[in-house]
Amino acid sequence: MAEPRLPVGPALASLRRRQLVKAGLTHAALIAACLVCVYPLLRMIAVSLRPGDRLISTDLALIPAGATLASYARVFAETNFLLWLWNSLVITAVTSLIGVSLAATAGYAFSRFRFPGDRLGLTLLLGTQMIPAGMLLLPLFLMIMRLGLINTYLGMVIAYSVSSLPFSIWILKGYYDTIPRSLEEAALVDGTTRFGAFYRIVLPLSTPALSIAFLFNFTQAWNEYLVARVVLCDAQKYTWTLGLFELQGQFITQWGMFAAGSFLVTVPVLLIFLHSSKWLISGLTLGGVKG
Amino acid sequence: MASVTLHDITKRYQDAEVLHRVSLDVADREFMILVGPSGCGKSTLLRMVAGLEDISEGEIRIGGGIVNHLPPRDREIAMVFQDYALYPHMTVAENMSFGLRLRGLPKAEIDERVAEAAGILQIRDLLRRTPRQISGGQRQRVAIGRAIVRKPKAFLFDEPLSNLDAKLREEMRVEIARLHQRLGTTIIYVTHDQVEAMTLGSRIAVINAGRIQQVGAPAEVFSRPANLFVAGFIGSPTMNFIAGVLDRAAFKSESMSMAIPGVPGDGAPLRVVLGIRPESVCVDQAPSPLLSEPLPAAIEVVELLGYKRNLYLKAGDDRLLATVDASFAGRPGDAVAMRFRLSEIHLFDKETRNRIG
Amino acid sequence: MISALLQVLEFVALLALAVAALESYLYFHFTYYDRKWFLPASVAAVLVLTLAAAGLVLDAGRAVSWAAAAALVEAVTALVFSHLVRGRHSLPVMLLAPGFIGLALLIAYPLVFEVYLAFHDLKLTTIMVWSRTGRIPFVGFKHFFKVFTSSPLSSVSFWQLLGRTVWWTLSNVFCHVAGGFALALLLNNCRRLRGVYRTFLIIPWAMPQVVAVLALRGEFHSQYGFVNVMLERLVQALPFLAGWGVGPVEWLGRHALLTCTLINVWLGIPFMMVVILGGLQSISQHYYDAAAIDGASAWQQFCHITLPLIRPVLAPAVTLGTVWTFNNINVIYLVTGQAGGSEDADILVSALYKAAFTFYRYSYSAALAIVIFLMLFAFALVWLRFSKGSESAYG
Repeated sequence: MAEPRLPVGPALASLRRRQLVKAGLTHAALIAACLVCVYPLLRMIAVSLRPGDRLISTDLALIPAGATLASYARVFAETNFLLWLWNSLVITAVTSLIGVSLAATAGYAFSRFRFPGDRLGLTLLLGTQMIPAGMLLLPLFLMIMRLGLINTYLGMVIAYSVSSLPFSIWILKGYYDTIPRSLEEAALVDGTTRFGAFYRIVLPLSTPALSIAFLFNFTQAWNEYLVARVVLCDAQKYTWTLGLFELQGQFITQWGMFAAGSFLVTVPVLLIFLHSSKWLISGLTLGGVKG
Repeated sequence: MASVTLHDITKRYQDAEVLHRVSLDVADREFMILVGPSGCGKSTLLRMVAGLEDISEGEIRIGGGIVNHLPPRDREIAMVFQDYALYPHMTVAENMSFGLRLRGLPKAEIDERVAEAAGILQIRDLLRRTPRQISGGQRQRVAIGRAIVRKPKAFLFDEPLSNLDAKLREEMRVEIARLHQRLGTTIIYVTHDQVEAMTLGSRIAVINAGRIQQVGAPAEVFSRPANLFVAGFIGSPTMNFIAGVLDRAAFKSESMSMAIPGVPGDGAPLRVVLGIRPESVCVDQAPSPLLSEPLPAAIEVVELLGYKRNLYLKAGDDRLLATVDASFAGRPGDAVAMRFRLSEIHLFDKETRNRIG
Repeated sequence: MISALLQVLEFVALLALAVAALESYLYFHFTYYDRKWFLPASVAAVLVLTLAAAGLVLDAGRAVSWAAAAALVEAVTALVFSHLVRGRHSLPVMLLAPGFIGLALLIAYPLVFEVYLAFHDLKLTTIMVWSRTGRIPFVGFKHFFKVFTSSPLSSVSFWQLLGRTVWWTLSNVFCHVAGGFALALLLNNCRRLRGVYRTFLIIPWAMPQVVAVLALRGEFHSQYGFVNVMLERLVQALPFLAGWGVGPVEWLGRHALLTCTLINVWLGIPFMMVVILGGLQSISQHYYDAAAIDGASAWQQFCHITLPLIRPVLAPAVTLGTVWTFNNINVIYLVTGQAGGSEDADILVSALYKAAFTFYRYSYSAALAIVIFLMLFAFALVWLRFSKGSESAYG
């Protein structure tokens, strides 16, 4: 009986051809998928570059004839774009800081100590992810209204601060679990208090997880729309999500400015996300999905 | 430097009692080794001295004062961990000076102490590196250095050599012995390796299942083991055990019998276990008043170990290991005559006591 | 602008102060709980302090009652510490306390409040009264009945919404997983340029959702949106297609739910792709080599190696994805949410949001929210039992 032989000569050539075809198809499919993903962004750029008299048209060209940056200028001049960005920045930054600080300590307690209710607490934290978004919003809104904090920064910070807390605690706890306890014990023997061991040894070593939690909190709060819409009604306090939505009004849509504003906001968010994506995703899958 | 006293120490986790009324006295400047199999409680005991575990019952004194409720930082002890526990985000110098910086010592003194310790341990050129950049043996030295600079009342070592390869382990063993001579410190050292215990300690405490089995100098523990466990644990290769009955001055088992002079005979026959170390089994030697009567045995396996040979002998139903000189010419299947060195026979009441050595 | 910033900073300072106060309070209890004098001393201290503070603001009678209440609370706390906690869990509780108090205030309390709301009647007409006096009429299960029998909005019924939500969830999750899997497989097989492709493919996930949804909504505009323009041109180029019914579609007007589904699929595939890719890359090549030697075809390898080994990664992702999709207000609301927008695309949660904030039917929404939550909870229990059961079947 003939033994199976490695393909040589013409057999090898046809094998190679098949592999090439396969690779070619793979790349073609991927390129097509990429186009589908990127196209809306490109269109947004195109619309933002359209000259004023032809803002609404069926032209599909990516770089329209007579492309101009007028829409960009108008966004800055005719709307409170910068104000919106500033509002978003303040609220988001404060929220993220508070969220990460609370999660850092809570996560440590869950990781290092056994106390009555720790298992239950963790399960509950995960369970809060399941609550329908609107469900918490309604009573929160009413509470904030009762406190007279509608339409204030403070109201927004309060509403945002705790929504990403459960997830942050989960991530930080997972990371703390990977830090050997002998490090803290060595610190205890060296002369720190229990809290000192946390603060001087564990915390500096947890910067990756802290950054992930911060980034996560930040992006959640930055991109948020529904809560902002409910809490803020003064145009001076709008976050950029509310502001942009304004531009897409009921009767008149300021297509050009809307596209320009959208693009301006999207670019930094995209860049940050893509830059840290590998790392952010591994952090998320570390804690969240494996959960 | 100070003495460490443990009095009636008991440790309980939930329902399980891990240590039962352990008492131990470590004198000032003594090198005390806690040795025992995994899970016997020796590490727990050490951690209780350090303050890393709570004490369920009993007292621990360091330098005369009770330290039960003191946190580790107030006990003036230093500890070397099994995995070295070096802070990854600090340099070697920062690792070593951490404790001193916490106590607010002046910088000049800190630098001096670090330099001194680095000199003793020969890690002077590593001071600027981080733990990631140095080898396992070097990390070990840094961990020891971190303990030295603190000038504590007692050093605690938790199986420090377990993570090193065999050769490095031997080197470090000698280093630690030298360190003890040079610094004259009180050391409590935990290990599961009885070779380390025998070579390093001025006194050994053998622990099993949460109880101290015997405390004494290595030579004493080796030649006069207090019970079966210690006899079987200390000494490599392991002691041979033969179960039988002691009737007056004669030992009788299923496969052999011999007279053992000098044994206090109560009259009533006693069930005992006879223990004899492989080194004390003489094969095919001339009769002598120091040796017992000959006992027939057959060689099963012969192992050559360089300057010695291991002979695995079978006498009736019992199997014994004898260690003889390499020049012994015997082969599997040969019949030989075994003689035991009388002064090195150990007799144990089923489990509890030792009689003559 | 600066004043707003100051206001926030003031809040942060107050928060830090509150946390410090809480921690000190707990610390004192943990350090001295076993001293004989602690219980009476602390109760007395709280009594005096509250009396003094309240006395400044309120009249004597109310001040006394506040002080008595505070002293009682303190006594209970001290007793809890000395008998239950016994100093064993000092640090963890201290570390957790601020976080959990925050969680309790901002998650637990609202939930309780929501239940309260559902049994009372808070709507546009009663809200003024409520914000002044805090009273609303009690109506028992009335809202719960209405949830099942009448419409949250103007015409669509609860059951229609439920059906739509189920269809929405199933079709979305299916497309997400299928699309994500396909892309992950392609990426896994491609060695060069993998990083570049990946970067482009996660753009839908990376973009702010508001921007992405609104932009895509624009593309489905019946006159100027990309989709219809292309369809128009296609029919012009190949006229016979018009005979088959191909042509510009009124996406937002007639097929709102389909439009939302397409948009959500576009948004959601990258996440699944990333998760699955991670799972694929963790499957050791050795399995495939062994299978190839055994003579398995590519399809067989896929069924017997890839699918089973990716289950542990896929299962939680699918579970999370299902819950998130079920609860996804953003897409539906942003696409159809303007006043005057159609209701045909609403799912349960978006109807909930609209009922509360566009129609001001607060109590009704609360009842609806509770019903939705209970459904999800029951589903989760069943799902968990099912997956545990099948896990044990796998051994």
